[in-house]
Amino acid sequence: MLKIENLHTTVGGNEILKGLSLDVPAGEVHAIMGPNGSGKSTLSYTVAGRDGYEATDGAVMLEGTNILGLAPDARAAKGLFLSFQHPMEIPGVQTMTFIRTALNAQRRLRGEADMSAADFIRLIREKAKLVGLDDAKLKRPFNVGFSGGEKKRMEMLQMAIFEPRFAIMDETDSGLDIDALKMVGEVVNALRGPERGFLIITHYQRLLHYIKPDRVHVLAGGRIVKSGAAGLAAELEKSGYEQFIEAA
Amino acid sequence: MSRSLFINPTAFETDLQAAFAACAKANGVQTAAFERFAKQGIPNRRVEGWKWSDFHGALRGLSPANDAEAQADIAPSDFAALNPLEFRIIDGRIELPQGELPDGMRYDVVDPVATIPELEHHAIATLNVAMTRKALGIEIGEDAPDRPILIRHINTNAASTFTQTMMRVSVNARARLIETYEGEGIGLYSHLFHMVVRDGAKFDRTVVHETGAGQVVNTVCAAKVDADASFKQTSLSMGSRLARHETLVHLWAPGGSAEIYSLALLRAERHSDFTTHVVHKAPHCRTRQIHKGVARDRGRNVFQGKFEVEREAQQTDAKMTANALLLSNTAEANHKPELEIYADDVECAHGSTCGALDEDALFYLRQRGLNEAAARALLVEAFVGEVIDGIDDDRLGDIFRASVADWLVCE
Repeated sequence: MLKIENLHTTVGGNEILKGLSLDVPAGEVHAIMGPNGSGKSTLSYTVAGRDGYEATDGAVMLEGTNILGLAPDARAAKGLFLSFQHPMEIPGVQTMTFIRTALNAQRRLRGEADMSAADFIRLIREKAKLVGLDDAKLKRPFNVGFSGGEKKRMEMLQMAIFEPRFAIMDETDSGLDIDALKMVGEVVNALRGPERGFLIITHYQRLLHYIKPDRVHVLAGGRIVKSGAAGLAAELEKSGYEQFIEAA
Repeated sequence: MSRSLFINPTAFETDLQAAFAACAKANGVQTAAFERFAKQGIPNRRVEGWKWSDFHGALRGLSPANDAEAQADIAPSDFAALNPLEFRIIDGRIELPQGELPDGMRYDVVDPVATIPELEHHAIATLNVAMTRKALGIEIGEDAPDRPILIRHINTNAASTFTQTMMRVSVNARARLIETYEGEGIGLYSHLFHMVVRDGAKFDRTVVHETGAGQVVNTVCAAKVDADASFKQTSLSMGSRLARHETLVHLWAPGGSAEIYSLALLRAERHSDFTTHVVHKAPHCRTRQIHKGVARDRGRNVFQGKFEVEREAQQTDAKMTANALLLSNTAEANHKPELEIYADDVECAHGSTCGALDEDALFYLRQRGLNEAAARALLVEAFVGEVIDGIDDDRLGDIFRASVADWLVCE
């Protein structure tokens, strides 16, 4: 599904990822944990194709295709979704209009027809209920004046609507209360399936109470320094990252 | 040729004196105005209020003489769908609407204004007073039909053209005015709009400046707003060689309000200057102003906004915001927000920002599947949305939106 091989990424002349390799097979959920500054966000930005995050070596294979040369929107159309740690506000653009524009842009890039307005409204209402956003929010300018938790719900709403092949969730749990964490778990668990993969980037174990990962990796110093089963997260919570920082 | 009234005149100024001598006989007021103008000359960069809009430099190579025939065919206006009462001012010639005068309003070609004291020191307005021989006069009564008035300023030649409109919105009347500046003319176009909004009246003016690139334009709207009356103005300027749109509002009596919204979309080497001055002369008046300027290529966006609150104008509530978005490294924005407050119990604020498109936002949109052009377009539309969303008439708003969309894709 998503296979990262020996990825080196440079940001502003500094090498942040130093030969990162990772394999998330279809149907699995992997978690990446790691200390501040270890390269977690750089990893998500490099995979999603942000300008300024230059992959100097290695490959990122999504379902057998190296996506490193593709524009961010082409990667999105291939089914890659990144849930942002700090989602944007877009004043002047109604939430519903924005999500529909994005959905249809992706469909067009895949050579599919636009979704009709009626079908879209049905879909967004259903998914908004799932993520706990009321309909009034959908008519407001996108994310403007929303709380941190609401913005994360908006990310989950888009993920539920786009039904990506592979989703990276960059610290989706930060700033969330218990109810919202539960909601994130429900959305991910509902989307989990043999054809889909997830990479969950987090500092803490708490989201992993709601989403049981198949594998947990420790990222430190720009590389994966340890991988293990779900139990590794609990172990990290106890022992901290210090041993890995030293090792890296 | 008589002795020059100017000190070190340019060829344009010398020709102006000849043009003044040649146009229909001037009365004493007009002669005095020309002499007053000549003492100042065409404003140059050394004059503080004109430092970003150098009319002296722009006009240096032009001749004010009227040298061409008016364009034969005039295409229908973009605003025709609103069924307006249409006036045209083609190369300075006033054309009134055909047919019967609607109830509750009067209009005619009238004598120009004698003097506007608050514009005594405005060189081009003073020149306008000297040069204009006929004006368009419109009076709106309380029982006038709710039908927009459209004034199309169409300039097609290289001459300097001076025009005036005088408008009175009577007590408790409602008036909607749309003004368009059109045509491929390459001369100076000076328009003076002198108006009064009487007690309890509402006036809503929409201005669209979409001329060829060569025009040098100065429009000055001087409005007097009486008690509980409102003045609302929404402008769109695509700029031109120099396009300076001035608005001077006096809130004369308690309860008056001014809303001034402007949007400049500037490409190539086009220049737009929104200069406004709102004077709060009485208590309990309110002003809202938002300017948005978007410039790419070598476009230049100028905004100079001033609120003046006189000592008597307690409980003034006035807010001004000016934001510029620069889409290329060679585009330019010059903002000068100003507050001059002599009253002590007021709420006044201004803010000004200038920046490029937010890279975080661009990446976010592209991650959601929008290509670069679509993502940039959406962010520009979002940036200008605040001005366009404030337009009450949806059809007008749609015309503005379409102009933005066209501007985004033009080469």
